[in-house]
Amino acid sequence: MRKSLASPTGRLLAGLAFTLAAVAVFSWYALRQIAGLRDLQTQTVDRNRRDSLQLLRIQNDLNALALAMRDMLDNTEPYPLVAWKAQFERIRIDLEDALRLEARFAPASREPERQQYLANSIAQFWRSADEMFALAARGDTEGARRLIRNSLQAQQAAITTTVARLLVSNNEAEEQAAAQIQAIYRRVERDIYLFLAAILAAVTLTSLYLIYSNRRVFERLETLSAQRSDLSRKLITVQEQVLRSVSRELHDEFGQILTAVGALLRRAEMRGLPTDSPLKEQLHEVREVVQSALDKTRSLSQMLHPTVLDDGGLEKALDWYLPLFEKQTGIRVRYEKKGVCPAVDDRVGIHVYRVLQEALNNLARHSRASEAWVRLHCSPEQLTLEVEDHGVGMPDGAPTRRGIGLVAMRERAELLHGAIEFARPPEGGTLVRLRVPLTEGSRNGN
Amino acid sequence: MTRREFLFGGAAWLRAAAPLGFSFTDVTAQAGIRFVHNSGAFGRKYLPETLGSGCAFLDYDNDGWQDILLVNGMDWPGHKRRRTTLRLYRNNRDGTFTDVTRQAGLDVEMYGMGVAAGDFNNDGFTDIFISCVGQSRLFQNTGKGTFVDVTRKAGLAGREGFSSSALWFDYDRDGYLDLFVCNYVKWSPELDVFCSMDGKNKSYCTPEAYRGATCWLFRNRGDGTFEDVTARSGIFDSSSKSLGVAMLDDDDNGWVDLFVANDTQPNKLYRNNGDGTFQDVAVRVGVAFSEDGKARAGMGVDVGDYDNSGLPSLVVTNFDNEMLGLYRGTRRGIYIDQAPRTNVGRITRRSLGFGCFFFDVDLDGFLDLLVVNGHIDEGIRALRRDVTYAQAPHLFLNRAKEGFQDVAPEVGGGFAQPKVGRGAAFGDFDRDGDLDVLITTNNGPAYLYRNDRHNANHGIRFQLVGTKSNRDAIGATVRIEYGGETSWRMVKSGSSYLSQSELPVTFGLGRRDRVDRVLIRWPSGRTEEYKNLRAGRTYVCTEGRGVRALDGF
Repeated sequence: MRKSLASPTGRLLAGLAFTLAAVAVFSWYALRQIAGLRDLQTQTVDRNRRDSLQLLRIQNDLNALALAMRDMLDNTEPYPLVAWKAQFERIRIDLEDALRLEARFAPASREPERQQYLANSIAQFWRSADEMFALAARGDTEGARRLIRNSLQAQQAAITTTVARLLVSNNEAEEQAAAQIQAIYRRVERDIYLFLAAILAAVTLTSLYLIYSNRRVFERLETLSAQRSDLSRKLITVQEQVLRSVSRELHDEFGQILTAVGALLRRAEMRGLPTDSPLKEQLHEVREVVQSALDKTRSLSQMLHPTVLDDGGLEKALDWYLPLFEKQTGIRVRYEKKGVCPAVDDRVGIHVYRVLQEALNNLARHSRASEAWVRLHCSPEQLTLEVEDHGVGMPDGAPTRRGIGLVAMRERAELLHGAIEFARPPEGGTLVRLRVPLTEGSRNGN
Repeated sequence: MTRREFLFGGAAWLRAAAPLGFSFTDVTAQAGIRFVHNSGAFGRKYLPETLGSGCAFLDYDNDGWQDILLVNGMDWPGHKRRRTTLRLYRNNRDGTFTDVTRQAGLDVEMYGMGVAAGDFNNDGFTDIFISCVGQSRLFQNTGKGTFVDVTRKAGLAGREGFSSSALWFDYDRDGYLDLFVCNYVKWSPELDVFCSMDGKNKSYCTPEAYRGATCWLFRNRGDGTFEDVTARSGIFDSSSKSLGVAMLDDDDNGWVDLFVANDTQPNKLYRNNGDGTFQDVAVRVGVAFSEDGKARAGMGVDVGDYDNSGLPSLVVTNFDNEMLGLYRGTRRGIYIDQAPRTNVGRITRRSLGFGCFFFDVDLDGFLDLLVVNGHIDEGIRALRRDVTYAQAPHLFLNRAKEGFQDVAPEVGGGFAQPKVGRGAAFGDFDRDGDLDVLITTNNGPAYLYRNDRHNANHGIRFQLVGTKSNRDAIGATVRIEYGGETSWRMVKSGSSYLSQSELPVTFGLGRRDRVDRVLIRWPSGRTEEYKNLRAGRTYVCTEGRGVRALDGF
C-alpha cells in the first residue's frame, strides 16, 4: 500500500513567505539607499550649487568693483570720483544680497571662521570705500586714488581670492558627494543583482517542488482511476454472471419443474375423471396457474439474461427485444441494420445489449417521444449502435448527472474499449452512439 | 514636417484666412529715397561698422508733413574711398521726397549712429542731434530750411565716445529739452581688439571685449548751452554698454523716467526723483535681467501700453538665442517678461533684434509691435546653420486676448524679405491717418513702407505744441476715452534703436468714430481736457490755448 500523500501547501506557503519577505527587505533597503541619495543631493550637491551660484555672483560684483576702480584710476572721465558712488552703491546692494543668500546656502562643513572672515573682509572693504568717497568729496582726489591703489584694490583682490577658495572647496565637496553617490549606485546595483539571484533561486526551488508534487498527485489519481475502473468492470461482469446463472436456473430448474407439474396435471386430468366432475374443473385451473407460472418464469429468465443472445447472437436478441419493447411501451421503434455483423463474443453482445436496453429505458422514461430509431451498423472493424429519439432531450447536455444508468453505459463502453457519446440531433432529443472496435478476440469463435 | 510645424502651419492658414485689414507697399524708390548706408567697412571689422545707423521721422519745416532723416557712417580715416553723409528728405506732400541735405547744410561727414530730433531752444523749429562714433553733433534749425552746427557753442564739444541712441526730454521740467546720450563701449581704432569666431578670421567682437562707458545727461540751461549733469544726476555708470533708451513715467508722478537697454550688462531703469537726480530701480522692478537672471544683449527698446491696462510695458530686443524681453507692467510696480510665456519669445528666439516700437498698425485700438532684425557678422551663416546674417523683421499684430501674431509674411511689399535691419521708425508721411514704417539696414538701403489700410477702423491723431512746457511737448501724455475704452500715449523722443518716430500721437479706435474725452498732461504739470472729438482727423493742441481740428489727418 502506498504511503498517504503529504500536502505541498505548507511548503509552498513557506516559499511564498520567503519571497515576500525578501521583496520587503529589499524594498526597505532600496528606499533607505534612495533616501540617502536624496539627502546627499539636497544637503550637499544642490546646496553647494546654490552656494556656488551666489559665490559666482559675488565674484561678478567684485569684478565689477575692480573694473570701476580701474576706471577711477585711469582718470579718463571728466567726472569727479564721487560720480562712481551710485555705481558702488548698486554693486553693494547686489553684493549684500548675494552674501546673505550665500550665508544661507553655505555648506554645513564650512568653518564659521571662514564665513566670518569673508563677511569681515567685505565690511572692511566698504568702510575703506566710504573713506575713499569721503576723501573724494572733500576734494582730496589724490588721497582717494591713493587709497584705491594701496588699499581698496588689494582688499578686493584678497576677497576675490577668498571667494575663489570657497568656490574650490565647494567644488571639492561636490566631487566628494558625486563619488559618494557613485558608490551608492554601485552598491545598490550589486545588491539588485544579489536580490534578483536570490529571488530567482527561491522561485526556481518552489517551482521545482510544485512540479514534483503535481506529478505525484497525478500519478496517484491515475492509479485510483484505474482501480475504480477495474472494480466497476468486475462488478458488471459479476452482475452479468449472476444474472445469467439466475436466468439459467429459472429456465432450466424451475422451468423443468413447472413443465413436469403441468404434464402431471394434464395426465391426472385425462385419467378418467367424469366430465362433469368439479375436480376436473379445479385441476384444469391449477394446470393453467402452473402454465402461467411457467410463462412468467421463462419471461423473467429472458429478462434477466435473454437466452436468445447466447443462442442466436446480438442481432437475434435485438430482433426479439425490440418488438417486446414496442409492445411494453407503445413507442414505435424503427430498426435499421447496415452491414453484416460478424458473430460477436457473448461478452461483447451482452454489453451492447445492456447499453441498448438502458438507452431505450431512458428514452421511455424521460424523452416523452413516441418514436425511436435504433441503428446497428457493422463493419469488419467496428460495430456502431445508435439510439435516437426526437423527444425533450437531455436537460443540460451533461449526461453524467443522470444517475447510475449512464455511468454504467460508459463503464460498459470502456470494458469493450469502445466509446459512447451523447449528442443532440438537429431535430432535438437525444442520440446515443456506441462504437465498439471489433478485434479478432472479440469475434465469436476465435 | 513635424507635428509642431503642422500645427503652426494650420494656425498660419487660419490667420491668413482672417484679413489683416491693411498691407504694406514698398515705396522707397517711388518716393525718391535713394539711400545706402556706408559702414566704412574695409575688412578690419571695426566694431562700430556693424551697429549703424538710425533714422527719424521729423517735421523740420513745420509744414505738417513728416520729413525723413537717415543717419550715415563714413569711411575710416586712412581708408577714404568716397564721401558719405546723412540724408534729409523733405516731404513733397505728394508721396515723394526731395533730398535737401546739401541746401539744409547737413552734408557734413561724420560717423553717425543715432538721431534725436527736438526743438531744444523752443524757437518753434525742430533741431537735430546726431550721435556719433567720435564727436556727436547738434544742429540747430534756423527756421529757414537750414541747420547750423552748434555743437561747440552749446557746450557739447570735446566729448568723444561711441555714442548710440539719444533722446530729448525735459527731466527737470524747466520747459527746455535736456539731452540724454547712450554710449556703448570705450572703443577707438587704437583700442580695437582682435576677436574671432572661427579662430582665424577677425569677426566683430561682442561688447565683453571692451570696457563700458557711461551714458551722458546734458541739462539745457535755456540759453542754448548745456551742462553735463551725468555725475550729479546719478546717471553715471562706467559699466554700462548702452544701445537703446526710451522714456516713460514708470511711477506716474509726472517726472519722466528713462529705461536704458545695455548690451551684456544689466538694463537700467533710471527713476526721476524730481530733484535733479535719478535712481536705478531696474533690478528691483525686474527689468535688469532676463527671467533667469541673465544680463542680455539689449539693443532697441520701446515703451507702450500694449494691453491697455493703463500701465507702461517695455520691449527690449536682444541677441539671437535670447528672445526679446516683453516686460509687462503690473499694478505691483514690477514688470514680468511675457516673452517666454508667449509665442513672441518662441518667434524672436532665433533673431537678433535691433529697432523696435509699439504702434497701432491696423488702428484697432491695440498697440502692435514691430521688430527689425539682422545679425552683426556676415560670416555667421558659415558657423551656425540656423542663423543668417540678413533676417526677416517681425510685425506682431496684437489680437487682444489671443496675444501677438507675427504677420510679417502676410503684409506684402517685400516687408518680410530678410534684411540686416538696424534702425526703425514710424510716421504718417502721407497723412492718411495710418502709420507708415521706415527701416534702415547696415551697409544697405533704407526702406519706406507705406501702410495701405483696407479696413474701416477709425483713427485720431494729436499734435501737441507746448508753451510753458517744451515746444515739442515731449513727455506729455494723452489719454483718451471712447465707448468705455481707454488708451494713452506719450509724446516721445528716442525709443527703438538709434531712431526716432514722429512726435504726433496716433490712436486707433476700431469701429468707433468718436472720442468721448481727451486728457492731456503737459510736462509743465498742466492738464487739459477736451470732450467729444470726431475721429478721422488730426487735432493740434496748444498748451493753454485750446485745440484746433485739421480738415483731415
